[in-house]
Amino acid sequence: MLALTEQLLEIEQRLIPTGLHVFGRAPEEPAQADMLRMVASFDRPEAGARSLPELVAEGLALQPYSQLLDASRNDEQALRERERVDEMVAQAIELFLRAGTRAACEWLQREARVSTDDSGPVFMLLEKIHAELKVNQEADALVRALRGEYIEPGPGADIVQNPAILPTGRNTHAINPYAVPSEIAFTRAERVVNTLLDRHRAEHGRWPRSMALVLWGLDNIKTQGEGVAQALWLMGVRPVRDAMNRATDVEVIPLEKLKRPRIDVVMTVSGIFRDLFGATMGLLDKAVRVVAALDEPAELNYLRSHVAEQMHTDDCSFDEASTRVFSNAPGNYGTNVNFMVMDSQWENSATLGELFVTRKCFAYGRDARGHMIEGREARLAMDRALSRVEAAYQNIDTFEIGITDVDHYFEYLGGVTRAVEERAQVRPAVYLSDTLSPDGKVRSLEETVRLETRAKTLNPKWYEGMLRHGYRGVAEIENHVANTFGWSATADAVDDWVYTEVAKTFVLDEEMMNRLRSLNPHSARSLVARLLEAEGRGFWQVDDEMLNRLRETFAGLEDQLEGLT
Amino acid sequence: MNVTVLYIGSSLLAPLRQAERELNAEYELGLRIAAHNFGAALSEEVWREVEGDLGRADVVFVIHVMDGENAARLLPALEKYRARHRAVIVINCMPELMRRTRLGRVDFGQMFGGKGRSEGETGKPVRGKSLARSVAAWMGEQARAHREKKRRSHTTYLKLVERMPALLKLVPGAGKLRDLKNYLALFCYFLQPTPANIRSMILHALKEYVPDVRLANVKAVPFETMPAVALYHPDAPALFETYEAYRKWYEKRSKQRLEAEQTIGLLLMRPQIVSRTRRHYDGLIRAIEAEGLAVLPALSTLMDNREACEKFFLKDQTSRVSQIVSLTGFSFVGGPAMNDSEAAAQFLKELKKPLRSCVSLDMQTIEDWRASGTGLNPVQAGMQVAIPELDGATEAFVYGGMPAGGAEPVPLEDRCLRLARRLKRWHRLQTAPRASLKLALLLFCFPPNKGNVGTAADLDVFPSVWEILGRLKAEGYEVEVPSSADALRELLLGGDSEKYGATARIAYRMGTDEYRRLCPFVEEIEAEWGTAPGKINSFGGELLVQGIQLGNVFIGVQPTFGYEGDPMRLMMARSGAPHHGFMALYTYLEKIFGADALVHVGTHGALEFMPGKQVGLSDSCWPDRLIGELPHLYLYSVNNPSEGSIAKRRSYAELVSYLTPPIERAGVYKDLASLKELLAAYRQTADEREREQLFGVIEETARALNFQDDAHANAPSPAYTRL
Repeated sequence: MLALTEQLLEIEQRLIPTGLHVFGRAPEEPAQADMLRMVASFDRPEAGARSLPELVAEGLALQPYSQLLDASRNDEQALRERERVDEMVAQAIELFLRAGTRAACEWLQREARVSTDDSGPVFMLLEKIHAELKVNQEADALVRALRGEYIEPGPGADIVQNPAILPTGRNTHAINPYAVPSEIAFTRAERVVNTLLDRHRAEHGRWPRSMALVLWGLDNIKTQGEGVAQALWLMGVRPVRDAMNRATDVEVIPLEKLKRPRIDVVMTVSGIFRDLFGATMGLLDKAVRVVAALDEPAELNYLRSHVAEQMHTDDCSFDEASTRVFSNAPGNYGTNVNFMVMDSQWENSATLGELFVTRKCFAYGRDARGHMIEGREARLAMDRALSRVEAAYQNIDTFEIGITDVDHYFEYLGGVTRAVEERAQVRPAVYLSDTLSPDGKVRSLEETVRLETRAKTLNPKWYEGMLRHGYRGVAEIENHVANTFGWSATADAVDDWVYTEVAKTFVLDEEMMNRLRSLNPHSARSLVARLLEAEGRGFWQVDDEMLNRLRETFAGLEDQLEGLT
Repeated sequence: MNVTVLYIGSSLLAPLRQAERELNAEYELGLRIAAHNFGAALSEEVWREVEGDLGRADVVFVIHVMDGENAARLLPALEKYRARHRAVIVINCMPELMRRTRLGRVDFGQMFGGKGRSEGETGKPVRGKSLARSVAAWMGEQARAHREKKRRSHTTYLKLVERMPALLKLVPGAGKLRDLKNYLALFCYFLQPTPANIRSMILHALKEYVPDVRLANVKAVPFETMPAVALYHPDAPALFETYEAYRKWYEKRSKQRLEAEQTIGLLLMRPQIVSRTRRHYDGLIRAIEAEGLAVLPALSTLMDNREACEKFFLKDQTSRVSQIVSLTGFSFVGGPAMNDSEAAAQFLKELKKPLRSCVSLDMQTIEDWRASGTGLNPVQAGMQVAIPELDGATEAFVYGGMPAGGAEPVPLEDRCLRLARRLKRWHRLQTAPRASLKLALLLFCFPPNKGNVGTAADLDVFPSVWEILGRLKAEGYEVEVPSSADALRELLLGGDSEKYGATARIAYRMGTDEYRRLCPFVEEIEAEWGTAPGKINSFGGELLVQGIQLGNVFIGVQPTFGYEGDPMRLMMARSGAPHHGFMALYTYLEKIFGADALVHVGTHGALEFMPGKQVGLSDSCWPDRLIGELPHLYLYSVNNPSEGSIAKRRSYAELVSYLTPPIERAGVYKDLASLKELLAAYRQTADEREREQLFGVIEETARALNFQDDAHANAPSPAYTRL
């Protein structure tokens, strides 16, 4: 019961976008409470603010909130206490929005014995965000830019991650690649890696000997390199900085301290990461070479063991056997797996795995002689490395861009999963981390698809929010269904009920279908076509009656669109 | 005689070559100066050469080496040939290297403690005049490891440059102090790296530490000094120390007034000017002037360029320049090793003038860059592109660099021309009457069908564009604004688009003859996509440009890559050129519509992902060809700094961020809400029978909601398994 409650809470508390932005327009006010509550739930050292749930738990003399979160999964008392803290935090935020900082601080002092010295900085920060959201400067910035004026730089993230993204209307920048990974990122990565490995061990009875990691620029910019740090932790090395404070070298963490084997890591890197983190590509490759050359027992250094094995069986060089950093050919981006899936022209799923490897089998780093390897085709090396993979993983740092919001997640994590399956003859376990959640949760791909489906695709709060935007909203719904389908195509990670519920919600509900078709008939047709394709490809077992109704609806849409010409 | 110089940058090689030539001519020394650029980590082959040269060297100079990997390898090499080297002069390097400085009886490793070679002797402070002591203290600071470097302004550094020669006179030239004095003298020559000073630096080191009769009568040459802060112009006889002096000379020369509106302020590296390795600067300056703009080129005050800007680019808070082009390759405030982008942004925000940061190839040759698929090497990409971006710099444009086998940087003439024209286009945006300016707003459509026009992460595009049009009209741009966002969409999607099989209305049909005449890349595209017009965005032998024109504003739809529906092309490891229809749109905008600026609306399109180098593009890169000379703005979701940076670097875009949508808790709905209530009831009741009943209902509801499939996050729980 507690686990089920926990699952419901997870859905209920998940933050989702409830509409779209209009350039230059300030967002409506009532929608801010949940976001502000999330902002307040993290320590903000830069603002001198501590996490509000922690402050409340402390004031109420409960155990720390982070422990309550963990304990509430199987302890009724802890769950009640957690709910009590959540409720007080929610009330304080509401009071803040209604009556201001002072009222909220005083109420918290009275009800939860949180000193105003502690709560003050939290609400100062919220006040700043609240004020900055009232004015939108985007159109002003555009007009200034068109006059050739200076546009200020600003960081890129979501508000919860980094409130300094406000005001918008600025020239968003990346980060200095040599700063990656930061010390904080390296510390945070340790916990996620441990959770990940523990989970895998609990479910599979042993460490994953080899893992495929997807590395993107997106999360690594926003987290100062947590994804990079996770790769380094898996191999058991830490970054070392030079005289200019640049992370250019690694230091081996001794096995006695690591207390587990070094995992072999195959890095499939986006073209964007490759471009933005050229120096980091070198660092990761260096880490692989250092670890592969350590004189350690095979059962404690899987990377070394695999490299040695491959040098022996393939009679190849150390350089070749230790190739682990793969990306596109220079000047090229993307796996094309998304394009192929979207266009419906692919024959079978093996094609998708092939395509992934074809696009991504270019090696980067520096060879043993110190020459840069700038995207050398290394198909065999990639085939070999992928054939040993037991788990695939991607770090996700934001709830704003979920795995069914864009096609890039399935093209990468799905693409590599399919490529591994074809080579290892078994589908790897697939994990995603939610590094933004306070407890650094790790979920399986299947769990994540279900959560996204329940929290977003099937949620009236989400789709009605989208439909308020008419034409574009229908396209968004259709995109979500197509991206969900992408997880079937690449990783068989979608349950039947997901498609069934999507069909019931958007197609078989006549009133809904009529709304969709009047707002954007083209996207409505694409949505129904995608469901039919899911059935046709065997991703969805559906009864004949439902199937027939879908077909009829599709035929009706076709007629309508032809009538339009 | 052999001298080995390990250095960074592109200003030292030419003066060293000149020194070698002149010294050999004058003294017949058989002098060989081996020089190696330590800017990037070196390959095995190069290391072998370096080690060979170190093995032969009488005197070694190590200058500005900060790279950890290079230093780690250099330290043992210096140790290995310790006996061979008569003097090792380390200047402005990391502490471990500074401690290798050794000449005569001076040994920094011993003087300044740390991990010197012989640990036995503790360093005693050098006795001497108090001034000498302050210099020694400064050197000590250089040689000791500091966790946090104190921020020294450029002024302090320049003061040192100016005062050092005077200080030097006070240091006695005998005993141990003689060697210290020599170090300082060599350092002084280096600080003003004119060809004469570099020559003196080499000569002085040889005379003092490589005893030879041919040098017995050589007298110390006085330092040649140049102003620390100044204005430069290639045609001027000397540097100018004031704006007034420059203005007088400039106005007399060009016979026109130096107007702020027309003037580009440039920031140049002082060592390049002083060492006369500045042909790349001269090339760019002349290209800018050829476009009818004036220039105000200032020597950068490296640690903090606000100093140079305040001195030369500002008069009573009013700017004398309309754009700032930094050619230093470093951050605006903070110098090579750090950056204070907040201070930079604050300064530039008040100035309101844009900052461009353009790149000269210092750490790879022009030929290597041309041949490279990646473009700039990671060191330059990090230091000279990523860091200036933090200051809000745009246009990371390569305009010059070191030619293979050359000793000094040269301009890339065609790139200088292109950059100058881009600056001129920005100038037009700044100065022309709004009503005369033509703007192009481009939308995306992916996957390409009529349901997806206006694809953009987080953004409702039609209302956004409609708002923008209203604002542009209010600002004086010539634009017809449709009655509503829906009307705008209907206008764009309607018309005869169906007839042409297009997703949007057709603004222009470009015949292939016209296409060939206007676009110089047609043959290259044909090699990839077949004879123009091809199958995409074409009809009846013509190329179709999708969009509508509303007064002086064009609203168009960018085609997609064009290989989405082509399994054969998708399976290719390398994507080729853009298709004819893609090229035709941008050709139309530049050559027919005559756009003054491009605005891409929303995250994100295909242009910036077209094949070409990663960063530091050349004229063979497709994004560079597509954007051409046009100023480029990109409305970009604030939560996507990564793909946004690709647009910035590969298509010279200036991003204007937009907010992400409101976020709320997902909440529970429909049967999930009922399930929540049931669970609450179950938890509240203590009655076992009621609990039993509720358990059954919950089990059923959970099953109906498909929770039975769920494995559970993190810790497995026994309670769960009962379900």
